[in-house]
Amino acid sequence: MSVAAKNISDSEKAASDGVLLDVRDLCVSFRDDAGWVRMLNNAALTVKRGETLGIVGESGCGKSLTALSIMGLLPKRGCRRTGNIIFDGNDIAAISEAGMRQVRGRQIGMVFQEPMSALDPVFTVGDQIAETVRTHFPVSQREAKERAIEALASVRIAGPANCATQYPMSLSGGMRQRVMIAMALVCEPKLLIADEPTTALDVTIQAQIMELLLELGQRTGTAILFITHNLGLIAESCERMITMYAGEVVEDGAVEAVLQRPLHPYTAGLLESLPGRRAPKSRLSSIPGRVPSPREMPEGCRFAARCTYITGPCAATQHLRAAGDRHVRCVRADGLALAGSGT
Amino acid sequence: MSDAPILSVEGLEVAFPGRRKGQVIKAVDKVDFVVRQGETFGIIGESGSGKTTVGRALVCLIEPTGGSIRHFSDNPFALSRRALRRHRRGYQIIFQDPNAALDPRMTILQSVREPLDVARIGSHHERTRKALEALDHVAMGPEMAARYPHELSGGQKQRANIARALVLEPQLIVCDEVVAALDVSIQAEMLNLFADLQRDFHLTYVFISHDLRVVAHISDRVAVMYFGKIVELGPATAIMSAPLHPYTKALLSAEPEPVPAHLRNRERVVLQGEVPSPLDPPTGCRFHTRCPLAQAECRAREPEWRELAPGRFVACHFAETPH
Repeated sequence: MSVAAKNISDSEKAASDGVLLDVRDLCVSFRDDAGWVRMLNNAALTVKRGETLGIVGESGCGKSLTALSIMGLLPKRGCRRTGNIIFDGNDIAAISEAGMRQVRGRQIGMVFQEPMSALDPVFTVGDQIAETVRTHFPVSQREAKERAIEALASVRIAGPANCATQYPMSLSGGMRQRVMIAMALVCEPKLLIADEPTTALDVTIQAQIMELLLELGQRTGTAILFITHNLGLIAESCERMITMYAGEVVEDGAVEAVLQRPLHPYTAGLLESLPGRRAPKSRLSSIPGRVPSPREMPEGCRFAARCTYITGPCAATQHLRAAGDRHVRCVRADGLALAGSGT
Repeated sequence: MSDAPILSVEGLEVAFPGRRKGQVIKAVDKVDFVVRQGETFGIIGESGSGKTTVGRALVCLIEPTGGSIRHFSDNPFALSRRALRRHRRGYQIIFQDPNAALDPRMTILQSVREPLDVARIGSHHERTRKALEALDHVAMGPEMAARYPHELSGGQKQRANIARALVLEPQLIVCDEVVAALDVSIQAEMLNLFADLQRDFHLTYVFISHDLRVVAHISDRVAVMYFGKIVELGPATAIMSAPLHPYTKALLSAEPEPVPAHLRNRERVVLQGEVPSPLDPPTGCRFHTRCPLAQAECRAREPEWRELAPGRFVACHFAETPH
């Protein structure tokens, strides 16, 4: 109890320093036939007010799980979450589901990869956005409708009043994602969690949506937690980035610094394996092997089996440690001088 | 590399009936290109561009509604069903979804041997040996051969699909978004594998993808498709460094670059609007509704398909104008 109290007072101090979200020691376990298995291990991250933080990693590394944990959207059964999620000075990991409902949508907005799964097919787009407004503000039906139309206009939908009367089915993927953004931002949340918001879209539409997200984020002062597997998007849109691997944060730093000189061999490996940075037809470097399964997680460094820089100390459990103003979970980081995409 | 084109496509048209009577949707509209033996021919396009339809027509999975496709000098669509079945062995296709071609109730070995079983090539023992060989070429050992699809990762399943295509000893493989579902580290491994197999078996690839970097990396020549047409065709390096068509330029600039800011010295062209409805194609140049350079002429007249410099084809009235 005293530990939690101390954490909160720390976070109050942090809040005054401009930290909006402070996630500490976040662990998530799921239960299956063979017992509990930990999928997310001591994840830690901070998002400052108005900042855009990117989380990158390959499938199954825990990016989306981190987002769902923050939003309190984990399944009720067969799932255990521990740790602190201090949002705007309050530990939202400790509050009730009813309390969380006041936070979701109002304080923290969300945009997912597949807008069709988040939109209700039997209600018009306008009704759905208006419902979000009415859930959080004591306004009339008519005013909520008006706000919905304004929100649709703000995501640059031509003819917003007409769009409000449409059903999600009749919209294109790009339009649906604009509607999702309008719905996420209509209550002017302090934080927007965008989980692969453009992955299902074509690259020219992706460019439109990213431009829109960043511009709206800037205008409303909304901080963005941006989750993607696309390092290019992180490079072009975020100030800081986090690399996740096998359920852990392995690197954390300013985007420019990480791209210039990654500290963790996994981040460097991701950058190296992208086509387009080497001569056409040349051999691409890849990361051999696969992510270990959560049941067979090694004791020591989780990346060791795929790492070319492995030595004795890698067999010990790795901790996320400070390296200047960055963080890394690699015992050899200081001596490696890894190549980034700027070299 | 021989000069005889393994594939020649002339005025290719594929139209599908629309929902209403008499309605026609042209998925592919008068497309011309040749693929030379031993090369990798890339096709880039966004959803709805017709790239997948072209790929399917190339291996006779869709019958064109106009124009011609020739495999060397033969018209495969003129063959009898039986002859086509035999002919098809030489022209394989691999799809994006690695599960699509693998039966969940068959072991990997059975799946890879199946094409040989169907073709009744050799004895049972020989087929098994050939299937194991094909799996070996994609770095899957006998212990993998005994497994079922659900026991494999996405990358391993895609390897099995490649083996399944290889086992018939094809000359050409159409690869339709074969690495799109894979993580980048696995994707890099697969692209290397494709390069190795091409060298070892003198394969010709038609490599279809929405990912410009992937296509540019693996291809010798690239065709850029937009809304049922090829808008630009040329050597991969030339297209990447000096695109002629404004759509190609927009695609290149829309691709986010994972490099520090000081290395990103380019202006971004963000295209406005979306791809038009195929039921109501724009007049003139099909790209004019989104083109930053569109003039009155573009709305009125469809640009010709012309060779601007040797080997560099483009369909744009203003391809010469620097933009």
